[in-house]
Amino acid sequence: MRFLLTIVALAGSLAAPAVAQPTAKPPAAPTPHWPDGRVNLGPLPGGKGHWNSGPGLLSETPIKMNGAFLADPSDVDKVAPFQPWAKALFLYRQQTQAKDDPHSRCQGPAGPRQFTTPYGLEIVDQPELKRILILSAGAGHSWRTIYTDGRSHPTGEDVNPTYYGHSVGHWENETLVIDSVGFNERFWMSGRPVGMVHTDQLHLIERISRPDFNTLRYEATIDDPGAYTRPWKGQAFNIPWSPVESEEFFCTDNNRYGLQHDGSIAK
Amino acid sequence: MRFRAIGSMSVALGMLLASTPVSTHHSFSAEYDITKPIKLQGLVTKVEWMNPHTYFYINVKDENGKVTNWALEMGAPGALQKQGWTRNTLQIGDDVTVEASLAKDGSDKANASAVYKGGKKLGAASSYSAGN
Repeated sequence: MRFLLTIVALAGSLAAPAVAQPTAKPPAAPTPHWPDGRVNLGPLPGGKGHWNSGPGLLSETPIKMNGAFLADPSDVDKVAPFQPWAKALFLYRQQTQAKDDPHSRCQGPAGPRQFTTPYGLEIVDQPELKRILILSAGAGHSWRTIYTDGRSHPTGEDVNPTYYGHSVGHWENETLVIDSVGFNERFWMSGRPVGMVHTDQLHLIERISRPDFNTLRYEATIDDPGAYTRPWKGQAFNIPWSPVESEEFFCTDNNRYGLQHDGSIAK
Repeated sequence: MRFRAIGSMSVALGMLLASTPVSTHHSFSAEYDITKPIKLQGLVTKVEWMNPHTYFYINVKDENGKVTNWALEMGAPGALQKQGWTRNTLQIGDDVTVEASLAKDGSDKANASAVYKGGKKLGAASSYSAGN
């Protein structure tokens, strides 16, 4: 048996393997609705599919990106109206290549990041229960509840800060509007650019629509007087439909991030 | 270590472009260095077909005969399946060649971008995508 270590120059590009993708993009179709007129944010009855993660960018204005990082850090003021401390922290997270990202430790994909987390999500409308569930396939394989029964947010001592916070929702014509408070500070709320800062004062307003069958439209308004100088709105972005079932994904199953080969913590 | 030293030398010789970008649960550049490509050949000793990343391990013998066990990270099982893999694609004892990027922490770990088995090139659903 031959054991051989060779170190070579990779002078050429390593082209992607020529393998077939399991599914083609589904044909264009209009926005689906339930019999009562509500927008259907999931598959057709008897069908399958989920919202795949996309490269959604949480930024007030367009900026040039290099993956999850600002191509030019001097563009930082185009991203959001940061308070000085929040800007410094965001830039630190960017400059250190997101090495401390809680997401890499399998923490909840909360805030706007839920809509860009790898392996996607499903939105399950349960009108008989007056709630909508957002099932995140990626990260910790967790779910978030949006109450649509008209209840208010808890206040004062009743607020228990959590990753997903407390969310209530209502429909404005074809758009689901979700209002959330009660977040903890143990997650980074964006994956692109990675490392956007928030505090437990975050008040998040999300507007979700389905302009056609294959597209989920997402827009977030960030109202966090602890981290920003004024409320601001991220540019809306689209999330593509994937016509296959979402997969089981428990990030904690064998997460070796930050560990060396022998399982010890990397220095 | 000699592997890393030699791997660094190869940086000047070529530019590595990874396979299909796949977003995963951590920043590639937080853990791996795309400018330090390495090519390894050896026998598979273990396969962890698990989330959030599939790992496999190979025994690699250097020019002095010393055997080192390397850990190679790939994408999640679901992402690999989209590139034609199954859970049985790699078996213990398989003789494979791997193109990968070295870990920044200096351990015997690398992020695979391509795996060659029996002359066939397989993707690795690497977490590398331009700039991250």
